[in-house]
Amino acid sequence: MPEIFINGQAVQAERGQTVMEVAVAHGFVIPHFCWHPDLSIAGNCRICAVQVEGRSWVEIACNMPVADGLRVLTDSEMVSSYRKSLMQLFTLNHPVDCGICDKAGECMLQDYHYAYNGSPSESREPKVHATKFHPLSDRITLDNERCVLCTRCVRFTHEISKSKALGVTQRGDVSLIRAAEDHPLDDDPYSDNIVDLCPVGALLSRSFLYKSRVWYLEPTPSVCPGCARGCTVQIWHRKREWKLNALDPRHNASIERVTPLDNPQVNGPWICNKGRDLAAIFERPRAQQALCHGKPVDLARAIDAARTLIAGAERPLALVSNWASNEELEAFRRALGDRFRALYKHDCSPVAGERIEDDFLIRGDKNPNTAAARALFPFDDPALPLDGGVDLLLVWGEGFDFARVPPAARTIVLGSYVDDAHARADVFIPVSIQTEREGHYTNFAGVVSAFEPCFPKSDRVAHAQSLFAELETA
Amino acid sequence: MKHLIPEFAVLRSRFPAGFESSLVLPCLRRIQEERGHVADEDIDGLVAYLGVPRIQIEEVLSFYTEFRRTPIGRFHIAACRNVSCSLRGSEEIVAHLCTALGIEPGQTTPDGRITLSTVECLASCGTAPVVTVNGAYHEDMTAAKIDALLATLA
Amino acid sequence: MPNARLLMTFPVTATSHTLAEYRARGGYGALEKALRQMTPQQVTAEVNASGIQGRGGAAFPMGRKWGVIHPNDGQPHYLCANADEGEPGTFKDRWILENAPHLLLESIVIAAYALEVRHAFVYIRGEFDLPYRRLAGALEEAYAAGYLGADILGTGFACDIVVYRGGGSYVCGEASALITSIEGKRGYPRNRPPRLTVRGLYQRPTVVNNVETLSNIAWIVDHGGDAFSKVGTPKNPGTRLISISGHINKPGVYEIEAGYPWARFIYEDCGGMQNRLGLKGVIPGGISTKVLTGAEIESLHFDSQEMEAAGSSLGSGGTIAIADGTCMVRLLQVMLRFYHHESCGQCTPCREGMGWLHRIIDRIVDGQGRSEDIERLYSISRLNDGTTICGMGDAAGYATSGILNKFRGEFEYYIEHKRSQFDGRLACPKSS
Repeated sequence: MPEIFINGQAVQAERGQTVMEVAVAHGFVIPHFCWHPDLSIAGNCRICAVQVEGRSWVEIACNMPVADGLRVLTDSEMVSSYRKSLMQLFTLNHPVDCGICDKAGECMLQDYHYAYNGSPSESREPKVHATKFHPLSDRITLDNERCVLCTRCVRFTHEISKSKALGVTQRGDVSLIRAAEDHPLDDDPYSDNIVDLCPVGALLSRSFLYKSRVWYLEPTPSVCPGCARGCTVQIWHRKREWKLNALDPRHNASIERVTPLDNPQVNGPWICNKGRDLAAIFERPRAQQALCHGKPVDLARAIDAARTLIAGAERPLALVSNWASNEELEAFRRALGDRFRALYKHDCSPVAGERIEDDFLIRGDKNPNTAAARALFPFDDPALPLDGGVDLLLVWGEGFDFARVPPAARTIVLGSYVDDAHARADVFIPVSIQTEREGHYTNFAGVVSAFEPCFPKSDRVAHAQSLFAELETA
Repeated sequence: MKHLIPEFAVLRSRFPAGFESSLVLPCLRRIQEERGHVADEDIDGLVAYLGVPRIQIEEVLSFYTEFRRTPIGRFHIAACRNVSCSLRGSEEIVAHLCTALGIEPGQTTPDGRITLSTVECLASCGTAPVVTVNGAYHEDMTAAKIDALLATLA
Repeated sequence: MPNARLLMTFPVTATSHTLAEYRARGGYGALEKALRQMTPQQVTAEVNASGIQGRGGAAFPMGRKWGVIHPNDGQPHYLCANADEGEPGTFKDRWILENAPHLLLESIVIAAYALEVRHAFVYIRGEFDLPYRRLAGALEEAYAAGYLGADILGTGFACDIVVYRGGGSYVCGEASALITSIEGKRGYPRNRPPRLTVRGLYQRPTVVNNVETLSNIAWIVDHGGDAFSKVGTPKNPGTRLISISGHINKPGVYEIEAGYPWARFIYEDCGGMQNRLGLKGVIPGGISTKVLTGAEIESLHFDSQEMEAAGSSLGSGGTIAIADGTCMVRLLQVMLRFYHHESCGQCTPCREGMGWLHRIIDRIVDGQGRSEDIERLYSISRLNDGTTICGMGDAAGYATSGILNKFRGEFEYYIEHKRSQFDGRLACPKSS
C-alpha cells in the first residue's frame, strides 16, 4: 500500500489510484472541471495541476499515479500562481452571463474565480462568440459560449448512458459540443444527468430554465417512485424563509427540480429523466375532498362511514397499493390485517414510449414498493376476476379497474389524485402523497431508502398510516 | 455510397480484425473523391456499414480540414500561406489569385468553376510558393505561372 | 571536412525510386540479413548500439523507445511510421517518400521484425500527393516481390503495412494524436501515462517513429550500430536530412553529418542569401524552435548540445533563412495564425491561449498595439510551457518568446509607430 504525502501530510493510498482520487478520499481540495470519479480521465481542463515537491513545474493530479513516497503540494506559490493565470484563460471568452444564468450559485467557474483568481479579465480582445440557445435535445439547452469543453457530458453519453449522443465538432477555440444529427439525445432516458455534470451554465434543463435562483431553494431527500430501483433523489423546493408572499402561493409548495442524491448502493450519482419529472407525478390535480356516495362530506364523517362499513362486512377484501411506504403497509397490516383479506396490486404499468428495463437503472416494475408489499400480501392479478362473494372492497391507490368490483360489494376508496371513480364509491377518503410525509421504500434488491416530507399536508386529507388505526373496529 | 462497399470490403481486409473504426477516414476520403463532398446519406450509409456512432463521423468531418459536407467548385485552388511560402512571395500570389478570380479565400467563383482557399504548410517549402489544384502540387509559382495555370482550368 | 552520406547516396532520376533501381543499389539486402542471420534481439541491439535519436523533432533515443516493448507478452504490437510532416519549414521526409520509398518500407519491415509487429502503418498526411503515390506504388512492388505479406522471403516472418492517409491536421504529427487518428477519430493527443509503448493503438503497445529515423535502420543493419555511432558526433550519431527554405539561394533537402558548421552550410552548400542580403536570422529546425540571429548561427554547428546551449534546437530539421529587412512582427503573425488554426482545442491553455496570441498579434499588425502587449505575449507563452497535453502549446510559446527575445525592438517600434519598421512584406527584400 503506497504512502504519499499531500501538503506534508502522510496519507495511505491504494495501488492504481491517482493523486486526485487519494486527495478527494482524504478531504483535500484540488480544483477540477473535467475530472469526475465515475468518468474516464480526460485531463483537459488542466486546473487540477499540483506541484511535486522539488520540481519546478506543475502536473495534473487527475492522471498522476501514486507511488510510495510521492510528495505533492496542492497550494504552493507555484500552484496558486498557475491557477490564477489559468483562470484568466477560462474567463477569457466566457460570457459574463451570471446575472441571467441559472447556474449562478452552484457554478464551479464562479467558485474557482473567487477562490483562485479574483481579478477581472486582463484581456483587451473581443470575446469569441458562439451559439447561445442551442437545443441539444427537447429537454436540454446548450450555451456554447459558457461551455469550457470539459467533455464530461460527452463522456457520460459514451461511458454511462451509452447513447453515444454527444461529441465535439470543429476544433480549437471554435470547438462546439454537439449531439449527433439524428437526435439520439432525445432518446437517452438518462440525458439530464449531463445538466448536473456540467460545471458551468452551459447545459441547462429547459423545464427549470429561469424558474428560480438556486439559493432560494433547498433540497429534501426523497426516493423516486418511478420504478422499483428506488433511486434516491433530492426534491428542490422553495426555502421556507424565502416563501413568496405575493404572486401565486402554489410556488411555495411546488417541486422546482429533482436531482440525484448520491447513493453508492443503489443509483450512484445518477437518475433517469422520469425521476427529473416527478412534478408530473406529484403535481397532478389532487383529490382533497372526502365523499360519501359522491357527495362532499367532511373527513371525520367519511372516516366514520368507512368504519361502519368495515364493522358490518362479512367478506371484506382490500387491494393494497404498492406505492404505500413500509410504514403504511405495516400500519395496515397491524390495524386491518386480521379483518380484511388483503392482496397487493400494481398501481402503475409502463406507458407507451417508456423504456421498460435496461441494464443500468431502469426497472420494468414501475412502482416503488412492490418488494415490501409482496412480503406481506399475495398479488392481485388484474386479469382474474375478484371473489364474487366479497361484500366490501377497499381499494387503496391507483391503477384499479373499477369494472372488476364484485356486484354485491360496497366500496371504500383511498386515493390522492382526481379520478371520476371516486364519486361512484360508497366512501372516498383522500390520502396524502409521498412528498407530504416521511417513510421508506424497499427496492427490488431489498435496499431500504428513506424519504422526507417537502410540503405540508392539507387538513382535508388523511395520512393513510394513522387512518388505518381509526378504521379498526373491535 | 453503397456501390463503394465492395471497395470498402477490400480495404477492411487489409486492416487487422477489430479495426472497423479505423476505416472512417479512408472511407470518407473515397466517398468525397466520388461525390466531391460527403452527403448526409453517405454518413447514414457509413454508420450502417461500419457500426460506429454517427457522432464519430460528424466529429471527423468537422475536425479535419480536407473533408467537406457541401459541394465546392470544380477546381479547388489551395494556396499555402505559411512562413516559408510567405518568405518566397505567397502573399503576393494569393493577392494575384484574388484579383484574377474576383473572389476572396473561402469563396467560389460565380460560375462555380473555382474555389479558392488558403491553407497551412504543405511541406513544399523548398519549392515555394506552392498552390494545389484538386490536390496536385504546383510549385515555384509566380504570377505568370498562376496566369498560365488558370488558363488551363477552363 | 568530410560529410557522410547514409541516405542521399544516389542521384535522383525519374526512376530512382523504383524497386529495380533500389535493389541495384543493394536495397533489401539488410532485410535479408536481418531475417536470415539475426534474431529480433540482435536487431534491437544494433539499434541501441547506434545511439540514433528521433528525427521528428523530439530527438528521443530510438533504442530506448523500442526497449519498452516486451517480447512475447501475448498481445499485438503496432509500429507507425510518422509521415505526417506538418512542421512548417520541414520537407525532408517528403524526399524519402518520393525518392526512397523502398528504403522506408524495408526499414519498417526490419523494425517490425525486431518489435514483434505483425501490422505496421505509415501515417501520411492527407495533402501529400506524389509522395503518397510513390509510396503506394512501392508498397505494391514490395508485396509482389515477397518483401511483405504472410511469409516474407520464405522465412515465415509475416508483416503487413497499411498506408493511412490523414485528413489535414498538423497536430496529427504528434504521436498520440497520430494513433488516435488511425483509430478513425479526431486527432486528439493523449495524456501520459500510459506511454504509447505500453498502451497505444487500440490500447496495444505501439511504437511511433519518424520516417527519416526509421529509414536509417537499413544502413544500421547493413553496417552495424557501432559504425553508425561513429558517424556524426557521439551525442548526435549519424546524419540529419535538413530541409532549408526561405530567403536562401538554393533551398532544398541536404544530408548533413552532425557537427557540420552552419556557416558553411548556409553560405557554401546553399549558396548564401538571395539578393546578397545579410542573414537576419535562422529558424533552425521548424518554426517551433527558437530563432537565432545570423551572427549567432554562424558560430554554431549541427550539434544538439551546442544548439541547446545557444537556446534553440535542431528540431525537425526544417531550417528557414531570413534576410535583413524582413519584418519579424509579420513573421510571428503568420506563425500564430498557424498555431491558432491547428490547435485541436482539447486543453485550456492551448485552446484559449492560441486564440489570444493570434488576436494580439493581429491587433499589433493592424496598428492597434498597446505597450502591455509584449509582456502579455510572453505570459501566455509561459502559461503554455509544460502545462498542455501535447507539445503544441509549448511550441507556440517557443516561437513567440524566441522571436521576442531577439527582435523585441521591432515590436516596440510597431506598437509605437503603428506600422512595421520595414515595408512589412515577407517576400525577399530587394538587395540592400
